[in-house]
Amino acid sequence: MYAVDSPPTPARSPQTPPAQHAKPVRRRSQREARVAWLLSLPTLVILIAMLAYPLYRMIVLSFQNMRLKELFSGATPPWAGFDQYTKALTDGVFWGVVGRTAAFTVVSVSLSVLAGLGIALLMRRVHSKVRIFMMVAMMFVWALPQLVAAQSFRWLTDSDFGVLNYVLTKLGLDYATHSWFVNPWEGWTVITVLVVWAGIPFLAISLSAGLTQVPKELLEAATVDGATPWQALRNITLPILKPLLTIVTTLSVIWNFGLFTQNWALRDGHPEPVYQTLATFSYTQAFGRSNYSYGSAIAVITVLLMLGVMIFYIRQMFKIGEVD
Amino acid sequence: MARHDEGVVTVGRSRVGTFFANSTGIVFGLVMLFPVYWVLNTAFKPDKEVRSFTPTFWPHEFTLDNFRSALGEELFIPSMINGLIITALAVAAALVVGFLAALAIARFSFYGRRAIILVVLAVQLVPFLALLIPLFLMLQGAGLTNTLVGVALVYLVLLLPYTVWTLRGFISGIPRELDEAAMIDGCTRAQVFWRIILPLTGPGLVATSVYGFIQAWNEFIIINTLNDPKNQNLMAWLLYNQTERGTAWGPLMAGAIITSIPVVIFFLIIQRNIATGLTAGAVKG
Repeated sequence: MYAVDSPPTPARSPQTPPAQHAKPVRRRSQREARVAWLLSLPTLVILIAMLAYPLYRMIVLSFQNMRLKELFSGATPPWAGFDQYTKALTDGVFWGVVGRTAAFTVVSVSLSVLAGLGIALLMRRVHSKVRIFMMVAMMFVWALPQLVAAQSFRWLTDSDFGVLNYVLTKLGLDYATHSWFVNPWEGWTVITVLVVWAGIPFLAISLSAGLTQVPKELLEAATVDGATPWQALRNITLPILKPLLTIVTTLSVIWNFGLFTQNWALRDGHPEPVYQTLATFSYTQAFGRSNYSYGSAIAVITVLLMLGVMIFYIRQMFKIGEVD
Repeated sequence: MARHDEGVVTVGRSRVGTFFANSTGIVFGLVMLFPVYWVLNTAFKPDKEVRSFTPTFWPHEFTLDNFRSALGEELFIPSMINGLIITALAVAAALVVGFLAALAIARFSFYGRRAIILVVLAVQLVPFLALLIPLFLMLQGAGLTNTLVGVALVYLVLLLPYTVWTLRGFISGIPRELDEAAMIDGCTRAQVFWRIILPLTGPGLVATSVYGFIQAWNEFIIINTLNDPKNQNLMAWLLYNQTERGTAWGPLMAGAIITSIPVVIFFLIIQRNIATGLTAGAVKG
């Protein structure tokens, strides 16, 4: 659902802007513009009604105090000013959730990007049959619905019949009937492994496609001049890969910061306080406790926290010429 | 340090290194596949092998009981049908509406075009779950909660920005010279659309609808929030299929396989689009 998944546009390249076409078009511009707006109208109406308006409602809601009573009666909820925000910002639990979400994002994104890059580089070195095997394996993981992947990890780490405990016990460790979610560090390790495992295919396959853009002559020349493989990687491959690396890292940050499915499913739809992220916290407040306004305030804060990253992403998309 | 084998650059490669790389690659692939394998393994085992303290690494006694019992669950088939209806509605609507906007962005230059592009790009980044609270209240007010149409409407918004963006890419991929040649030969704009752009965007429409299907089919949080248990889709069924004795892992894994099959098949069909599309954009500059 992200723009970066768009198909190639082979007929265009940044070197030849469509200036030749733009001129004659501009002369009939008024009628053109009317048709174009007419064509865009349905999309704009839907986006305004179902995205812009809810966004506005969410902000309004965050300044009110809407509970179950107002939901059933349909009455306008009482105004609460900045109460919901004050409540969140002075609440240690909320800050705990923010810190946890941020820490998880930093750790999981670093691990997945590094692993993805490593696998992409590895794929250049292996035999073509091994490469195909790696690709096929990653494709299956990528294709797996998030929830199915999460359920499979829930089953692997099941305390009684999970294969993980069985294997660890066989290796001589005492892991029989070990519960992985009692200790939050262990639980978060499972969640992180799940997210990194599921994220590697996207990263490795994109980056390995990006690596084909690195001219082999350049690497060869560097080697002839006595560069070590590490120097060639640092001074040639990575700079060429940088725009792509930036995009996939930004996307990973946006995705992982919004973690919901994995901790939700692994904790059976009732994440304990230590397993709450901003997304599940906001959701639980609204739909679990009917605290719709508090949930909205947390959602607004989440969006504000992400805003910088999102602006960066959009600017990057414009910069690399994906948007023309 | 550099050796040349049939013109292939082999930067700092040794036999031992290659062997090590190949082994690492194979181990990596096996580790990645293991959870997928374990789902399959579990689904085809009888319950006594599933609930065993010494798990079997392949089904010693092959059985389809888990699939029978998943399909026999009261809400399994209804959930599947619900999912198909909602997905079809959302994808069809997104395709029609999105195609028009994509056409405008790709083929017309007009004041406000960049603004529309910006909106389409930006809304994709809004964490959709954050909007679930107001959307829930809006649909509740309109009497659309606990209906399939209400969910389809939300999914439509979820799919629309992506659809516009992707189709825009496919339409810009058709050379403008084709349009112009046809118009010189006497085609009207409408004829250019029906005879040139629409047929040539065919693969794009297929890829976009398949991707939309995957998105809508995989969603479970929105539908679970808006609808009662009777009006869920299969993903939501997967999340809350618990018995009093805890999770029935065999049928759950069988259900997970049935739910995943269309997604995996579709994904493998369009994976080329997804993978190459990304780099086509990002390595250009």
